[in-house]
Amino acid sequence: MTETLKVTRDRRDGLAVIYTEGYINNQGGEEIARVAYELIDEGEKVLLLNLRGTKIVNSIGISILIEIIEKMIEIDGKLAFCCLTPTIEKTFHIMGLAQYAGVYEDEEQAVAELAG
Amino acid sequence: MTPPSGIEAETAEWLELARLAGDAPRDSEYLKRLLDAYRQAREAEAAALYFRFEDTSLQRHVAIGEPPLPARLEQTEGGDLDLLSWSGGAVACRAPQRDAPAPLTTLLATALEVSRQRQQLKRQGFEAKLRGVQLEALYDVGLAITSMLDMEELSEAILLRAVSLLDARRGALYLLEDERFALQRTIGGDAAETIQLDDPVLAALLRGEAVGEQALVPGAVHLLLEPIESEAGRRGLLIVADKESRTGVGPFGRSDQRTLELFANQAAIALENARLHREALEKERLEREMELASEIQRRLLPTTIPVVPGFELYGWSRPAQQVGGDYYDLIVLGDGRCGLVVGDVSGKGMPAALMVSTVHSALRLLLDRLTVGPELIERLNRHISETSAPNKFITFFLAEVVGGVSAGDRSEMRFLNAGHNPALLVSPSGEMRRLETCGLPLGLLPDSTYDAGSVGIGPGDLLCVYSDGITEAVSPDDEQFGMSRLCEVLVSCREEPLETIVATIDRTTAEFAGGMPQADDQTLVLVRRRVDD
Repeated sequence: MTETLKVTRDRRDGLAVIYTEGYINNQGGEEIARVAYELIDEGEKVLLLNLRGTKIVNSIGISILIEIIEKMIEIDGKLAFCCLTPTIEKTFHIMGLAQYAGVYEDEEQAVAELAG
Repeated sequence: MTPPSGIEAETAEWLELARLAGDAPRDSEYLKRLLDAYRQAREAEAAALYFRFEDTSLQRHVAIGEPPLPARLEQTEGGDLDLLSWSGGAVACRAPQRDAPAPLTTLLATALEVSRQRQQLKRQGFEAKLRGVQLEALYDVGLAITSMLDMEELSEAILLRAVSLLDARRGALYLLEDERFALQRTIGGDAAETIQLDDPVLAALLRGEAVGEQALVPGAVHLLLEPIESEAGRRGLLIVADKESRTGVGPFGRSDQRTLELFANQAAIALENARLHREALEKERLEREMELASEIQRRLLPTTIPVVPGFELYGWSRPAQQVGGDYYDLIVLGDGRCGLVVGDVSGKGMPAALMVSTVHSALRLLLDRLTVGPELIERLNRHISETSAPNKFITFFLAEVVGGVSAGDRSEMRFLNAGHNPALLVSPSGEMRRLETCGLPLGLLPDSTYDAGSVGIGPGDLLCVYSDGITEAVSPDDEQFGMSRLCEVLVSCREEPLETIVATIDRTTAEFAGGMPQADDQTLVLVRRRVDD
């Protein structure tokens, strides 16, 4: 059986938080995008992606995350990441995601920075 | 404020479009609005812009109207769609009512081409960065060779990186255990728990042959396998399955095979290091355990020889390993009496040392309340049966020497023998008597019963209680030292000091063994009634 990424969402301190659990690949990335675009349609302009339950991401997943970042730029919004494993953080830096999206160690730090 | 008139609104729209045209990050918005203007001009239900990259298929970039036009057009022809196609892409409309206005079409084509070039540059940049990630991953695994020594952690790191590096949807890592591949970790779904080395499907896959439906990674269509091999031989197997793209999954390419091979080579060294590290830790743990067990056992042996009026006593023990299964004790019982014990636990090492410790404590507690006799040994046996591991037992000889008897009288010695070698009693004239066994070893059956024996000890009588490490010492010809040789030594030096008798037995068995290593623990307890008391 193929396992899929679990995505949940929450709102706190004026921003929307998306939690992921599992592999961010094509299917996982699409699921994150679906939730992100849903939140954008609901008027959210600041999204925080908490990857505390994710240990692995592939290039397809990254390209989808880039599209979400581009979408956020398009609407003058902001996307940030938190709780990344060292490997994922390094990947995001090399792939240039960290250039356009904030990367924070934990959710509290990210919320303090983004909500302020 | 007065709302803008038709021309004013149109001019404002075009000015906004002109502004957007130079704003790269808002490229999609510009194309979308341009496309919407085109759709409206043609009075179409829906429209879409398509990019054409390396292949001939067209990929949708922007869509307007409901339902949206297809995400991918396989042919240059759009079927029932009105398709305007050129080398870099196409614009498609569904049910247009009017012809395409030439200036708007040209503008749309130019904007699409600029956007396509941007996308292509972006894609190339993405691929270059991705190669950076791949190199970094290989470097990291190389680094893990010296830093990550935990096998679990390492297995996870290897599989996570292999799967992500190759854009696989699923993956599994196997390590060689008991001549078969045993599953360590999976990502993305289930995999077979074990794979036999001669599995025909495995062999076919390793040869690069397609096998169709298979049970190794159930449900996966495209598999790529790479054995993990170190200098010591085969160590494991790395499987990745179903290479992902935006449109689904497909087979892996030659470069993927090469990448997985490089990755498996690095992983092999890392895994081998982790294995050696684990072995070293295990060895260290065993050595510490043996030292501790040895210390426990040393502390249980008597440090002084009790004084029993009218008797000489001496005890000696030498383990074959760091920790043996032999045990002896000399216990003062009061009123001039002394208990002497020799035991031999099945097995060696920490379990044997712990059993000796149990026997030692229990016996001393029982001797506080009971005299040397059947009840004592039966209760001791029950306690050992209940507290020891199955199949663990101890042969046991217990005797009570009664001191302070006048020179003309014989001293009665009570003894119990639970499966131990018969003790030997040598008279001053050299006559030999065996104190035979009277019950099963302790710990075998909880309800065993025992009979006590009794023997009179006269002046000059020498009692020898020994373990089978003495009589079973082996010569280079594979012959055992045996009881008769032991009896000969005892008879010949029965009047020597006890320490000398022990040294003679030790020397004689060593000479007999002719340099062969001591196979079993050796223990001797000697008791002799003084002649002059």
